Amino acid sequence: MICMGNMDWEQLELNPRIIAAVKKANVKSAREILSLSGPDLQRLTHLSKSDVQHLHAAVAVSYRRHSPVTALQVHRGECPSLEPGHKLSLACPVLDALLRGGVPLSGITELAGESSAGKTQFGLQLCLSVQYPLAYGGLNSGAVYICTEDSFPIKRLRQLITQQARLRPELPQALIRSIRFSDNIYIEHAADLGALQACVSQRVPILLSRGLVRLVVVDSVAALFRSEFQADEGIERARHMLAFAATLHHLSHNYSTPVLCINQVTDVMDGPDPAHCNFGLVDNKVLPALGMAWANQVMVRLMLRRLPGCVGTGEQGGTSAPRRLEVVFAPHLPRASCLCGVWEEGVRGLPNRPRSVTNSVTKRLETTGELGLNDGT
Amino acid sequence: MQRDVSSYAIAPSVKVKLLNAGFLSAADLCDLRPLQLSKEACISQEEAVEVLQAVRCEPGQERAAAAGRLTALELLGREQELGAIVTFCSALDMALGGGMPVGKTTEVCGAPGVGKTQLCIQLSVDVQIPVCFGGLGGKCLYIDTEGSFLVQRAVDLAQAAVEHCGLLAEDSEQQEALKGFTVETILSNLFLVRCHDYVELLAETYLLADFLAQHPGVRLVVIDSIAFPFRHDFDDLSQRTRLLNGLAQRLIQMATNHNVAVVLTNQMTTKVWNGQSKLVPALGESWGHAATQRLILHWEGTHRLASLYKSPSQREATVPYQITGQGFRDAPPSDQPKASDDPSVRESGSLSKRPRMEDDQSTRK
Repeated sequence: MICMGNMDWEQLELNPRIIAAVKKANVKSAREILSLSGPDLQRLTHLSKSDVQHLHAAVAVSYRRHSPVTALQVHRGECPSLEPGHKLSLACPVLDALLRGGVPLSGITELAGESSAGKTQFGLQLCLSVQYPLAYGGLNSGAVYICTEDSFPIKRLRQLITQQARLRPELPQALIRSIRFSDNIYIEHAADLGALQACVSQRVPILLSRGLVRLVVVDSVAALFRSEFQADEGIERARHMLAFAATLHHLSHNYSTPVLCINQVTDVMDGPDPAHCNFGLVDNKVLPALGMAWANQVMVRLMLRRLPGCVGTGEQGGTSAPRRLEVVFAPHLPRASCLCGVWEEGVRGLPNRPRSVTNSVTKRLETTGELGLNDGT
Repeated sequence: MQRDVSSYAIAPSVKVKLLNAGFLSAADLCDLRPLQLSKEACISQEEAVEVLQAVRCEPGQERAAAAGRLTALELLGREQELGAIVTFCSALDMALGGGMPVGKTTEVCGAPGVGKTQLCIQLSVDVQIPVCFGGLGGKCLYIDTEGSFLVQRAVDLAQAAVEHCGLLAEDSEQQEALKGFTVETILSNLFLVRCHDYVELLAETYLLADFLAQHPGVRLVVIDSIAFPFRHDFDDLSQRTRLLNGLAQRLIQMATNHNVAVVLTNQMTTKVWNGQSKLVPALGESWGHAATQRLILHWEGTHRLASLYKSPSQREATVPYQITGQGFRDAPPSDQPKASDDPSVRESGSLSKRPRMEDDQSTRK
């Protein structure tokens, strides 16, 4: 495969006459050839139209990574580089069911919510679940956690690590004890956009290429983009955002690595705004921040809302404010949601229909949950 | 044979030499032998052969061109013969005049999550519906630039399409056709390419002609999306416009020469105009001319609407639709049997899906 640098023209299956003309025209790279239109290339190389067509086709063959494959091959897992057959588990069967298996390994997954909705808890939980072997929903590797807002909640992480056995009782306990969780989480702090871009374009690729991490969490994307630009600098902000998103896409696809971007929310203005897309969420008083330019970059958009009331887990005691995790959009998911809570041992979804009807706590939760949807605090 | 030498597809340097040597029209050339020509025009023998080939194949081409001259009636017949790809949303099919037209390019624009990719995957399944069911029995090439084609979703839609046809099958011909219309065959007739940047996408379009020649059954080419690779990496917007124009030109050529429907998706962007901002399709004004038809998908409250914005043959229309577990469908699931029996869909999804809970009448515009 030829990517950037200079092209070895001799390798192409072309008439030597055409190759000589290309060399004479001082065209260096395949990118250059493909970016030139037929007539431009004709002028530059003094070749005929059909010669230029051959040249375009030959260069295109050498440039592309894969020839077309059938969806059946992808479905059978014969093309892991195109679509890995598995996903990253959220360490909870209810949440995994909502996402049809977990977080996809390629593309940006966004989790938006108000402060204290529990977004960071999801980020931390993924940093731990990624470290389990493939058979247990993990990716057998570490995680990099990029903080742009607060300092990393190290105390909470320690607590989650000690509680792993309780969160995942179905796993072999020896396995949980054998993983040194905190050694595999790399924490980056980015205080401004320059630092953030340097982090994702320089340090994170090194970690990924060495196989040390298979998960990138950015907590949060909104903070820096919202604070560094004035209201009238929308175009400049969008340009930076696209560059940042492009880097993340590139990393995600090259290393089959899930990218979780935590996002803040913004208030919905009153009245219909033609420039506003509410994604069909008319009841919401808040929407994910950063507008359309960012939304276009996101593959899976999730929203987390804190609801009034409290729920218990039944078995272990302890209560939590209920939350609703909603799929706003995703190419493979229906618009759906589930209730979940944050407990000492981590985040857990609550089954849609509680199996034990006698459990009064879950009953109460159902009512509060529906109320919460309406006034959406 | 009065055609000017300068109008042929010959290298410019050779053209100059031919003209200098006094060969002005095709008639001056066609009786010559390569050796003679190479001596007289001071060009290499190889070049002389190429020139003569270019000139001599011309009469044949001219005849072909004459045959290509059609009356409007013939053209109409041909267009109807090509048919269209149904979308499984009858309101949208009606607005489009039967579905996504084969032989034309259609651009689908919309905000993220409104259903562009869903429509594309739906079309890539529907293009394969056997002819006896009123489909095209074709294949599909899906060029994915966003990484949003998830095969899991294609399996869902293929499953639903197979079940739908199973319910419709009546005579023995349809029963027979159904044996060859399974999820597995649908997936094996769906070719997938992933492009990571705009140069890879350009490369793919240069190879499209060869691919379509090798796979004559392909009736649909999807590019989802055109905007994604072209919206960053460009400091020079005129360069982008130039590349996009070239790309559009090639796609239109593919659509007409190989009888395929070309479906492109595009993102939306906020445009500030006279102090007011609104959502418009991305990639600028000139790109608006690129596709023959333009369809805009948008939200209206909790409802999804599709607006036919530009079309040479159909009137502008706005129709409701919904995305269900089975795919792209008509909005009100009132009296349609296929929507009500709702087979293999996941429980968790269908419970809280908004469109299902809507009041039927309120979605009608």
